[in-house]
Amino acid sequence: MANAVSSEPSRQDVGNNSLEKLKNFVLDFIINYGMIVAILATLVYFTTQTESFFTAQNLLLIVRSSSWLIIVSIGITLTVAVGGFDVSVGSVASLASMLSVALMVIWEWPWQTAVLAALAVGAAIGLVNSFLIIQLKIPDLLATLGMLYFADGLHRVITQGEAAANGMANPWADRTPTEGRIAETFLELGSGRFWGGTVPQWLIDVMPENFFIRGSLFQGFPYAVVLVLVVAVVFHVFLQYTRWGRMFYAVGSNREAARLSGIPVNRVRLSAYVLSGILAAIAGIVIASFTGRGSIGAGADTLLDGVAATFFGFAVLGARRPNVFGTVLGALYVQALLIGLTQMGISDFYQDVIKGTVLLASLSLSFYLFRGRS
Amino acid sequence: MALKAMGLGKRFPGVVALKDVSLTVEAGQVMALVGANGAGKSTLIKILTGYYEHYEGRIEIDGQAVTLRKPADASQHGIQAVYQEVDTVLVPTLTVTENLLMNETVQRKRRLLMNWGALNQRARNILTEMHLNIPPRRRVESLVLHEKQMLVIARAVNQRVRYLIFDEPTTSLSLPEVDQLFRVIRRLTQQGVGIIYISHRLAEVREIADDITILRGGEKVAEFPVGDFDVGRISEAMLGTAMTEAYPPKRVEAPGDVMLEAKNLSRRRALQDVSFSVRQGEILGIAGLVGAGKTELVRALFGADRVDSGSVLVRGKRLRGGSPGRAVRQGVYLVPEERRSQGVLVEDPIRKNIALPFLSAFSWVFGIMRRGQEVARTQAVIQDVGLTPPNPHMLVQNLSGGNQQKVAIGKWFTRPPRVMIFDEATQGIDVRAKQDVYRLAQRVCDHAAVIFSSSDIDEVIGVANRVIVMKDGRIVAELAAHELDRNLILEYATGARRADGSLAPASALPLASAPEIPPQFSAEGGA
Repeated sequence: MANAVSSEPSRQDVGNNSLEKLKNFVLDFIINYGMIVAILATLVYFTTQTESFFTAQNLLLIVRSSSWLIIVSIGITLTVAVGGFDVSVGSVASLASMLSVALMVIWEWPWQTAVLAALAVGAAIGLVNSFLIIQLKIPDLLATLGMLYFADGLHRVITQGEAAANGMANPWADRTPTEGRIAETFLELGSGRFWGGTVPQWLIDVMPENFFIRGSLFQGFPYAVVLVLVVAVVFHVFLQYTRWGRMFYAVGSNREAARLSGIPVNRVRLSAYVLSGILAAIAGIVIASFTGRGSIGAGADTLLDGVAATFFGFAVLGARRPNVFGTVLGALYVQALLIGLTQMGISDFYQDVIKGTVLLASLSLSFYLFRGRS
Repeated sequence: MALKAMGLGKRFPGVVALKDVSLTVEAGQVMALVGANGAGKSTLIKILTGYYEHYEGRIEIDGQAVTLRKPADASQHGIQAVYQEVDTVLVPTLTVTENLLMNETVQRKRRLLMNWGALNQRARNILTEMHLNIPPRRRVESLVLHEKQMLVIARAVNQRVRYLIFDEPTTSLSLPEVDQLFRVIRRLTQQGVGIIYISHRLAEVREIADDITILRGGEKVAEFPVGDFDVGRISEAMLGTAMTEAYPPKRVEAPGDVMLEAKNLSRRRALQDVSFSVRQGEILGIAGLVGAGKTELVRALFGADRVDSGSVLVRGKRLRGGSPGRAVRQGVYLVPEERRSQGVLVEDPIRKNIALPFLSAFSWVFGIMRRGQEVARTQAVIQDVGLTPPNPHMLVQNLSGGNQQKVAIGKWFTRPPRVMIFDEATQGIDVRAKQDVYRLAQRVCDHAAVIFSSSDIDEVIGVANRVIVMKDGRIVAELAAHELDRNLILEYATGARRADGSLAPASALPLASAPEIPPQFSAEGGA
């Protein structure tokens, strides 16, 4: 054996015949591009099944309605990257959503301070999480599970268990009517659009038939989509191209080796949880702005979908580690499935069966097929 | 009665790992298998233990051809192995009895309930028969390394092992523990068990083996009885060239300024009032048995562990403890004991490992990494430390042990060190890589102070200008260059000679009784 090569070659014995080569080529292809092919296939399938699926309006709907999921998932991705886990994000999103609206409606705060307060609460919860995990050495799953209950309870305490909306009865002042209103600017974020208008004829000619329905009037890009795009690009660059990203992955892959290389391991872990808390809070604000109210459990769904999206992301381009690009694709995929299946008229319990199947298939991709290959 | 292998071979894509190797292990004999890293020892062992489904060649036991395609085949034919990492084959949360009798306890189908009293008694009988003093009800996680190793051996014996393979069994053992292991091996051979013994330590091979087989580059290059033992001949056969000089020349110029000073370092039970200093231009050796507190000391210097009292000064400035990051910023670097779990990130390419300690040196505005600079730096390090293959993008897990260690060393060269600490830096790497490590240490000490800690006394003597000897967390001797002597160091390290230089009475020798090493030190830095 050549000196340079470790004495632990892959378990997969590879012969020289062309059949083996073909098999390897196919496996490599599946590992690297399997997820993307699956996503494209799903999109093509929905397009053939329903007329309205592949239209500008519908695609933007998918992106907009997955905007808060994408933001939460990026937070989960950051904590998984440092070798941790944060399951409190769904509750934090609910809390931020409820808090921002309640502050405006019940306590009549201006929208800027309400938003800042919600973000601060997200950051504070991240700090507490990291204190529990790093200083008290509680396993991440358990610490953030405790926080899940705490934040979930807290968001119901704020309004005494009611939804927060314009004109609600004040639960803290003998149910007198509230005077505060949700600021228009606040609502713009979720429902506002720009660049709407008439679609030029050449674009209509270029795109598939019926891509722009309702004549040629384009409604415009939602602000939420821009926000998501900015957050995704920033954190993708952060994880893949900056030294902090290097530290995140180093801490996640071997904490002790990272520490002995001089990496401030605990500071890195703390930042991951704080960022995760802040991102969850941003997601909560987007939900509130989109729905125009603070609902009970508004962000609860994002936890499981976010975890699914993060682990979908493992399989994209054979990354096998948490990465923002994969996570975003994963989140979009989860949402596209939901909307496509709904438009096909498939009921939601079947949708969960399908979602579970797809997640398991993608996990099999990254964990089973990849084993022993590098 | 013998285990015979004829024309064994194994290929991997692009690599011939083992080629036409034949060997015979007689029952009741010890055959030592010697070779540099990558010589094919592991591959050979894996074939014999049924790790591979496919291999070339033929294996016979007592003249009967056997095929070993899965581990169960091997154990059915009485072939078992005791690997360096014994933890991988034991269940830490179960008791000694449960581990020892694992096969029987899980396979007993007809009985619903376990008779723990009887099982523990049986375990006790097996252990006492082997002169092992391990309580059957203890949980395996509370055992020290050599006890676990003995437990694995006992389990093999209980499963009627006929051929037992030891893969570097003494790497982390203290001398008395090695003695005990050898006693057990001799008893096994008396009972007719054939042994394959793999070790880098030639002195041990001479002591325990009957025959020696040498592999190089996947082929058998020499085979002779232990009576013909000759270190020069063995090294030559292992390396393919004559070893001219094992250690590079030491620096002769007088050392310069004090770079690092330790003052009264104490840490509960692990370190007791340790004080010393080291200067630019010298290599300070730290000698001592496994468990003497060497790793605890160097980790304390580096800030990897906190100390209860005492201080570390770097060029006269106090170094605040508890954070390796602060030590690194002061130019104090550590090449840690456990290469794979502490020294490198095995799943990352070489370039990311090289950049890791000084990421800001490779980053631009907003912390964006400058990949070109990183690759260039990695290529320079590859040239500098002699890494093969010279590919910055190769994953570290695909490198041999010696090359992984060069990554763990080379990553520090981005910023010049003031103090560089090597902890068991040559453990488990081949002779040629060891020489490269010595050369690097000598080169570093031209401009910095070097601390070289090792359980291999010959190595410490060969490398260091000055040596401190540790025992039970204390410095028991400090020896200047002209005082360096193997036996003297050994006497201090074992307690045969007291710190005041007088010889201890024979009855007080730890070698004669049980080793007096507290269990929590024995698995050095294992936590």
